[in-house]
Amino acid sequence: MIERPRGDSHILSLRGVGKRYGPRWVLRDVAMTLAPGELVALLGESGAGKSTLLNLIAGLEAPDAGEIELAGVPVHTLDADASAGLRRSTLGFQFQAFHLIAHMSAAHNVAIPLLLNGIGQSEALARAQEVLAQVGLGERGASLPSELSGGEQQRVALARALVHRPALLLADEPTGNLDPVTADVALSLLAEQVRGRGAALLMVTHSEHAAAIADRRFRLGPDGLVPA
Amino acid sequence: MNAPNATPEATLAVDTPPASRRRATLIVAALLALVAASFATLDLQLAAFLEPDAVGKMREFAGGFFPPEASPAFLAKLAWASLETLAMSALGTLIAMVVGLLLAILAARAPRTAGSALLRSGVRLLLNALRSIPELVWAALWVIAAGLGPFPGTLALAAHTVGVLGRLFADTLENLPAAPARALRDNGASESAVFLYATLPQATPQLMSYSLYRWENNIRAASILGVVGAGGLGQMLHFHLSLFQMREAASVIVAMLAIVAMVDALSHVARRRLTGS
Repeated sequence: MIERPRGDSHILSLRGVGKRYGPRWVLRDVAMTLAPGELVALLGESGAGKSTLLNLIAGLEAPDAGEIELAGVPVHTLDADASAGLRRSTLGFQFQAFHLIAHMSAAHNVAIPLLLNGIGQSEALARAQEVLAQVGLGERGASLPSELSGGEQQRVALARALVHRPALLLADEPTGNLDPVTADVALSLLAEQVRGRGAALLMVTHSEHAAAIADRRFRLGPDGLVPA
Repeated sequence: MNAPNATPEATLAVDTPPASRRRATLIVAALLALVAASFATLDLQLAAFLEPDAVGKMREFAGGFFPPEASPAFLAKLAWASLETLAMSALGTLIAMVVGLLLAILAARAPRTAGSALLRSGVRLLLNALRSIPELVWAALWVIAAGLGPFPGTLALAAHTVGVLGRLFADTLENLPAAPARALRDNGASESAVFLYATLPQATPQLMSYSLYRWENNIRAASILGVVGAGGLGQMLHFHLSLFQMREAASVIVAMLAIVAMVDALSHVARRRLTGS
């Protein structure tokens, strides 16, 4: 059971976080906080360590320096099971390549976080269908990912990331695979849905245009994390 | 430098370095020498094989197969033996699918620690050993251990097929797209949930296709395992050939051909549907 300290005003807190692969430090002395409901964009070139930072926050990799607190829980001290439990309850993920499961319908894909949190299949599917309707795909719940356009797949991925009402959504280049027009629609929807649920968003991107939806922007480079 | 309009073949011919051509010529010459040496050392007696006396004996032997035995009592025995052969191959394949999948999971796991790397190597070695021993040798061993009949035949097919399917399954699991598993893992799924929701559904069509193909092979293998006393049509064929009951043997051979053709056709259709090809 993960105990969460009360009264912490930040959903995410990074202090002096560092990560190295062999002798090379890809992240050094990264510090930032994220308040509930805040939208933050993390800019940086390819290889700057943006995706690595998301993995550290999610507990998928361990930092080599510093501390990470997610919803008041020190992620860097958790074992694999506890880390998975925290991800299930607190985080939503959205990826550039959507990562939808090809043999499952859109509704089943969206229902996955609910099923993993122990909610029964019929209720999970009903709630998945509701969120699909909110992202404009109410009629496509039975469709397989291969039957959907890129923009529709992106919306299914957004619905999956939000269906369990996570406190923090981590988005990794969420519009990287979309054409500019579809990307604009997807970004508006992302901001609207995240704000509407009172969730926080940490989005890594190399696109200044995508970062424009954020309340605050940072750039990750050789000098660490600096306001952009 | 190649001519601007050279065809690919011409380019290949021009670009082949003299050393490669010399090596290829040497390999072909060595192979031809090996074939010539084989003919020279083996006492093939091709002339004796084609002598009128030998041809006459062959004609007499082949003529003994006709007409195949078709009495109701014999056909009933034949039907039972056919079922036994089918059952041996199906059960042997099923056991191999289950055991092969369990071993494949261990063989396909990314070695994160020295212990898991050792386990992975050990399982791969076991799979190699199992498939290196042919079904007929396995059957001879199991007949000694478990007595005559279809049981040792089934175990023989299972033992060899575990080695084959285990390796094929492991390769399939290793080559699956990583994204669905990644999505589940990031959402906090346990490793067993990742396997059930992402790995297994993605791999199932390929695993079933391999299993059906091996079932085809096992039908053929089951047909001859009876020669060492492992039941089914093979045992019946061995029995009648030993007593020179050629008409009965002919009926057994026809039954073997019919079963193999039927399973081949069914398996072919099923595999096409599973893989969508």
